Amino acid sequence: MSNDAALMIRGLRKSYGKVRALRGLDLEVRRGEIFGFLGPNGAGKTTTIRCLLDLIRPDGGTVRVLGIDPQADPVAVRARTGYLPGELSLDSTLKVRGQLRYLNALRGNKTDWSYVRRLAERIELDLRLPIRNLSKGNKQKVAVVQALMSRPELLLMDEPTSGLDPLIQQEVYHLLAEARADGATVFFSSHIIGEVEALAERVAIIREGVIVEEAEPSRLVSMALRRARVRFREAVDVAALTRVEGITLLSESDGQTAHLQVEGEMDGLIKALAAFPVTDFETERPSLEEIFLAFYASSDMEDN
Amino acid sequence: MFAEFKHTMRRLRGQMIGWGIGLALYGLLMVSMFDSVAGIEGLEEMMASYPPEIMAFVGDVVEISTPKGYFNIYYSSYMTVIVGIFAVGVSAGLLVGDEEKGILDLVMAHPVSRTALFTGRLLAFVAATAVILLAGWLSWVLPSGGSGMDLTWIQFLRPFLPLFAQLLLFGTLALLLSMILPSVRIANMITGGLLIGNFLVIGLANTNETLQAVVEYTPLHYYQGGSAISGLDWGWLAGLLAVSVVLALVSWQRFQRRDIRVGGEGGWRLPSLSLRRPPSARDRQGA
Repeated sequence: MSNDAALMIRGLRKSYGKVRALRGLDLEVRRGEIFGFLGPNGAGKTTTIRCLLDLIRPDGGTVRVLGIDPQADPVAVRARTGYLPGELSLDSTLKVRGQLRYLNALRGNKTDWSYVRRLAERIELDLRLPIRNLSKGNKQKVAVVQALMSRPELLLMDEPTSGLDPLIQQEVYHLLAEARADGATVFFSSHIIGEVEALAERVAIIREGVIVEEAEPSRLVSMALRRARVRFREAVDVAALTRVEGITLLSESDGQTAHLQVEGEMDGLIKALAAFPVTDFETERPSLEEIFLAFYASSDMEDN
Repeated sequence: MFAEFKHTMRRLRGQMIGWGIGLALYGLLMVSMFDSVAGIEGLEEMMASYPPEIMAFVGDVVEISTPKGYFNIYYSSYMTVIVGIFAVGVSAGLLVGDEEKGILDLVMAHPVSRTALFTGRLLAFVAATAVILLAGWLSWVLPSGGSGMDLTWIQFLRPFLPLFAQLLLFGTLALLLSMILPSVRIANMITGGLLIGNFLVIGLANTNETLQAVVEYTPLHYYQGGSAISGLDWGWLAGLLAVSVVLALVSWQRFQRRDIRVGGEGGWRLPSLSLRRPPSARDRQGA
């Protein structure tokens, strides 16, 4: 294990009865980086994060969080970690301020309360509201504030912007970037490709309890399938485009509009289009599901 | 631990106020009625003529005109069941209740050890039970000077101690069952059933000798009730408290090893019975 690892996971295994949630997961996250953790529902993202905090006990493997074994000293790990759960439940008998004060008390009342107020203002959270009256988005804001308010060294965030509107999402990205600039490590799971691209320096894709890929987000996106729509000034022989490697013709109309699927980088298509009278060109960003599918298809082929 | 104790006490304040006021009002009513009840001529004879199956549950009716007998019959004989509703309900949900609501996941991600969380909440339950019984005790002590209930404050206090011990015992039993069974609901039902069942069996054993051997193995057999006014059985009291401590320790040990659920009730984890036939040699060859 390298000394600057914020998270080190080796051969992590966890089963729930007959369901094998983690099947020997290996992962290392460097200190001070923002790391995206991607995978479809049930892939093992939440189980991994909960093992890091000793909320659940793994069946095997080694875990070190900031150099500490969470099973041996969970309090030390949690004292230096901020956690945003994927399925958030708050005490409905409290107001927002009371909830945050209670969580602060569990941290020994060390939080600077003026910082809490600043955080709340930035993401437009009213501290006076009763928890029971909060919308999903407002509850998520409480989750964001409580995770950040102690200025932890490590942030473990399970879908941090789930339920937030786009403006608040942007503010959360700023907050996470600021936390990173202050030296914190951010480890987050997400389903939103834009979020991963905007935030993460590195990402890992988890599938059926194992990491299938670790890469920079831009590489993941470029490796996935894209769709392009091209409109020509006059009818052309669009079949010529399909001779370019990685391009598949999905449909055409009157030889003037073509829908194409591009595998890998766009460079080949753009160069091929230079020979045609193009009036319009649109590309569709791949969804995270499409990226997963691309990876799963490639890893299945490798398996076979 | 103190933060958790304080937070749990705050959450229980509504129950403490409700149960405390209810118990206090009932105590005040009973004290105010003592002189009239004790003054009824022929009451003992009348009550003695009731079927023994009914009288088996209320204690020694011959003493109904005395403060000790009155307190026992009208208060302490069934208070374990009444306040037991609070004790069982609260302690069964003390930790697993928050787990089912999904609250425990976030709480335990904070720097609080499982032992501190467990101890803080258990102590809050003990303190809340004590506060409710304190209200009940005061409701007898304070107005007793103006009535014929000529008992000292310490005599009034004594029967509350075995009651407290019984509530702790059934409370810690509910806590343990909540750690073992799939849900708070089931732990509540089973502990409540055991408490009421024990109360009924104790009563029935007064008229059925064959049940006498059984009741010796039940907690309420060691409940002194109003008879503690004359003097506490310290052995019984210590025994009840010791069992409560053991139940609490086993609960703590179960909580230490527990995987905290994100939310919802758990399952029984019974071994599944597969109805599919085992693969034949031919199937295996095909695979």
